[in-house]
Amino acid sequence: MDWLDFFQSITDGLLFGSIYALIGIGFTLIFGVMHKINLAYGAASIAGAYVSIAVAAYVPLPALVTFLIAAIASGAIALLIYLANFRFIPLASPLATLMATVGMLILIDEVVVHATDGMPQPYPALFADIYIEWGDFGLRGDLIFIFVLSLIAMVVLMFMLYRTRLGIATRAVAQQPVAAQLAGISLDRTNALTFVITGLLGGLAGAMIGASVGVLSPLLVVPITVKGLIVCVIGGLGSIPGAIVAGLAVGAFENFFLAFRGVTERDMYVMLLLFVFLVFRPGGIFSRSVARD
Amino acid sequence: MPILELTSLSKHFGGVRAVDELDLTVEEGEIFGLIGPNGSGKSTTVNLICGVLPVTSGQVVFEGRDITGRQPHRVLAAGVARTFQNIRLFGYLSVWQNLWVAQNSMEDRRRENFAKRWFFGSGAERDTVDEQLEFAGLIDKRNELAANLSFGEQRRLELARALAARPRLLLLDEPAAGMNLEEVQALDGRLRTLQQAGVTIVLVEHVMELVMGVTDRIAVLNFGRKIAEGLPAAIREDEAVQQAYLGGNVGTMHA
Repeated sequence: MDWLDFFQSITDGLLFGSIYALIGIGFTLIFGVMHKINLAYGAASIAGAYVSIAVAAYVPLPALVTFLIAAIASGAIALLIYLANFRFIPLASPLATLMATVGMLILIDEVVVHATDGMPQPYPALFADIYIEWGDFGLRGDLIFIFVLSLIAMVVLMFMLYRTRLGIATRAVAQQPVAAQLAGISLDRTNALTFVITGLLGGLAGAMIGASVGVLSPLLVVPITVKGLIVCVIGGLGSIPGAIVAGLAVGAFENFFLAFRGVTERDMYVMLLLFVFLVFRPGGIFSRSVARD
Repeated sequence: MPILELTSLSKHFGGVRAVDELDLTVEEGEIFGLIGPNGSGKSTTVNLICGVLPVTSGQVVFEGRDITGRQPHRVLAAGVARTFQNIRLFGYLSVWQNLWVAQNSMEDRRRENFAKRWFFGSGAERDTVDEQLEFAGLIDKRNELAANLSFGEQRRLELARALAARPRLLLLDEPAAGMNLEEVQALDGRLRTLQQAGVTIVLVEHVMELVMGVTDRIAVLNFGRKIAEGLPAAIREDEAVQQAYLGGNVGTMHA
């Protein structure tokens, strides 16, 4: 194994891992605020990206606007998921909402398959023609773009959560739901808002996956759902910094094994990583989650 | 004029009648004591008033309006605030943020524009938070995490948070639990100050020095039912009340 290939694969993986970080944040944020897992989240993210190319098929759009449409569409789908699977289902039952979101995951998947006849759809990339080289080491322009865009999304999210009334109210609900309501904060509105925010992030992630892979396919739904959950567990359920670090780490880790062990073996190692964490550090990288008491 | 009226309020958990056909009237401006042995339904009653638990039957009327079954944040908006028996602060928010996030007085909120209301708050609001911290004696701790405060400070912060939205009725669930005598006396003074400021208080408490000294009237619950109501002196002498407390003398009771 040569060091250059090693660094190349790790770097590419880190850049792509920012997408996993966004997906992981989505799972972890909903868990932090509501103590629920929204399994339809990955499907909503990909579906948002599909909506954006559907719109782009009628109106020619710059790629960046396509990304934004994906985010907004996914935010709307996430709100729909909240209304259908959480708002009117008893939250005290831990399985009810989980099963509801499994159903929603399959439903969204089926709608996408039906609408596209199961054919992969090309997705516009940004800066795909740029390649920065230092000798044999190089950086893909589209991956750099993805990384920067993810970083911006994370900074905006952190600012919102830690500096604005709305974000602090959301964290108050995560820490003490009953006391938060009696401080005048509406639980429904906070939950719905959390879903919309995760949807916006997910849609952006879905668009970036489409852009970096080059196509959108319903086959992407299950892998990103699984990766998102893994990131969320490794980072520590409810911890946003944990999800960011774990997302980048999983991206680097899987790309390393992709480069040296091949695409068919890659995900086995990622799963092993998950089990290593569950056994030796079940609380995740940051054992005390930031959102919770 | 009554500020709070409970009419045949009931809460059943399966076969257990935690609160059973309770009638209670709290007059505006008074400090009303709600006492009773453990498990007599005091905390449940508070939870029913502020919408944390759904009511099985009966009515909660606040300032002439029926607020039965309203969601807690709408009960707060109507003008009812509370504290908790086991302190429930937002532990990983700073002391200042704990109060900032609770500035939900409706009159103030409606006047604000979108950005102020949802994102940055107003300057006047920030000054108000500082004033409230000053009053609670916590201004030096404004940047500490609430979880890192001492027990007494946490109690003071919780009271300040309950007052942040300027409620007209304040429900206090065992505010003196775990306090030493000095702290109880300070709390006594604070409650009288609040009463003078026009806040009506319902005090659920086991610490009898506080209840007997500060309240205007007292109701006693046992097994979810009201067994006595009246002036503190009369309650102290009441036969049924002494029976409920296992024949103990109310004057020396501690919990």
